[in-house]
Amino acid sequence: MNIKFRVLPIIALAMALLFAPQVRAEQPAAAAGADAGAPTINLDKTSLDNGGDFVISGKAPAGSKVYIELWSAEKTVKANRFDGKKDPKTGKIPYKFYITQEMPAFYKIVAPVEMAGALDKAKTAGSKWKYSEVLKEIGADAAYTIPAKIQIDNYQATIMASILGSRGTLLPPMDAKASKRESMKLVKVRFRSVGNLLSAKVETAPDGSYSAKVSIRSGLAPGKYNARVTAVTERIKEGDKETVKKVTSEVASFENKIAFPTVYLSTAGTSINIIWPFLLASAVTIFGVLMGAGGGFILNPLLLMFFPLPHTVVAGTVMPTVLFAQGTGIYNYSKIKFINWKLGCGIGCAMLVGGFIGPKLTEMITLDQFKFLFGWVLLILAALMFWQTTPGYLANNKKEQAILKEFKKRAAEAAKAKG
Amino acid sequence: MKVDFWGQEFEANMFIGCIGGFLIAIMSSMFGFGGGPFMVPLMTLGLRLPMYIVVGSSLLAIFFNTAMGSFRHYQFGNFDLVLFLVMFPAAILGGYIGPKIAKKLSPVVVKRVACAGLVILGTKLLGLF
Repeated sequence: MNIKFRVLPIIALAMALLFAPQVRAEQPAAAAGADAGAPTINLDKTSLDNGGDFVISGKAPAGSKVYIELWSAEKTVKANRFDGKKDPKTGKIPYKFYITQEMPAFYKIVAPVEMAGALDKAKTAGSKWKYSEVLKEIGADAAYTIPAKIQIDNYQATIMASILGSRGTLLPPMDAKASKRESMKLVKVRFRSVGNLLSAKVETAPDGSYSAKVSIRSGLAPGKYNARVTAVTERIKEGDKETVKKVTSEVASFENKIAFPTVYLSTAGTSINIIWPFLLASAVTIFGVLMGAGGGFILNPLLLMFFPLPHTVVAGTVMPTVLFAQGTGIYNYSKIKFINWKLGCGIGCAMLVGGFIGPKLTEMITLDQFKFLFGWVLLILAALMFWQTTPGYLANNKKEQAILKEFKKRAAEAAKAKG
Repeated sequence: MKVDFWGQEFEANMFIGCIGGFLIAIMSSMFGFGGGPFMVPLMTLGLRLPMYIVVGSSLLAIFFNTAMGSFRHYQFGNFDLVLFLVMFPAAILGGYIGPKIAKKLSPVVVKRVACAGLVILGTKLLGLF
């Protein structure tokens, strides 16, 4: 013990000595940066109330193109992508799975106003637009820094591993360039639309002073947000290689505040007014009871349609909510001996295996694929429902229901006599 | 497999039952719903079992799938506690109110409405309109 206490101050002193010169060395460098025309940045508001508009202004070198990078500094979310597309060069399917936990919950680049046309063009491509290409086209690739540094794990998946419900073998980390390229794809998977990720709002005067009216929509992550300006002064093209000369400003911050009943869903990375999902879920479960089935298959697509939630979160959160109802149902039926355990557990074992695999598939598919498959599931279900209202089925069902009632009555009596 | 129920004996083809249950489980855990509306037809039509065996036993079978699926979703980090805390009371409330209204409504009408609703939802998800 004593030795430890005596050693500690020495270590502290050593650390102080080590770091002190570095701190001193950094200051002149920063000052030199300012001399070289680093842009200034000012925000007219430092606090927003569940989104809102504010103005970013400052001065950049004259004649430069100004981009503003905005990101949430505190809240991060998960993003993942499965690469199952055939590589046009090698003709092989990569079967790679990429996942990060460090994606900022909000990310946007604001470009000069003259880029609006390019963005509108990208919007017409629908969900098939390519983030990296648009970034390059409007020159915003120079301002793309924050997601480029996130840690991305990549797995080599195989069909067999997916069937067993594993992500596959973890591969060594990608190099900075590959990681940056992949981060762009993950950003697109996470934020989906052109409008979410890019806007063209920066107006620049000939003397280099700029201003941009930025709007943060409601329903985003709360907490600290950062903004940084990148001014591109020159782009020199030499054959394939392009050198970008740019200067960046310091980071300016603002706060996004939300208040109850709006709450932040940390897994989904969005904040929502909880009253609406509550009402929706109540209405759907009531309807589900009337229909004689759970409401999950109606609730999930509606949640996806009305709220900006990822499909993995919707599926993963709605599923446990019915556990309790099923449990009480089983208990009630077992009390009157209305369950055949051999039959239920037999099929249950097969379903156990299926339930092990299914959630892995949710993770592997994109939102569009999820919607497509779910659409067909619902149409099949609609056909089943329709069949259950045809006269032949109804007549048969009436008989069955009568027997069911009779059995239930007998069972209840037997249970009573026993008790 | 022979199934004994209240003194009556039925023959159930467990091969069809298990394959069907397996596929339904993959689908329902993938999309995050129970699977009841698929299990009941499987067991009545596929296994030719009468309704009174199916109601309880299918629920038991589905419970296995829901428990496993929930666990796996949790493992993959797809579970959001706050959203769950919103949905859970709503599900209980719905389960409480539902049966009270059910007595006053014809199940056939409800099913036809559901059918129309599902077609609209399905085509919407497929992006047909």
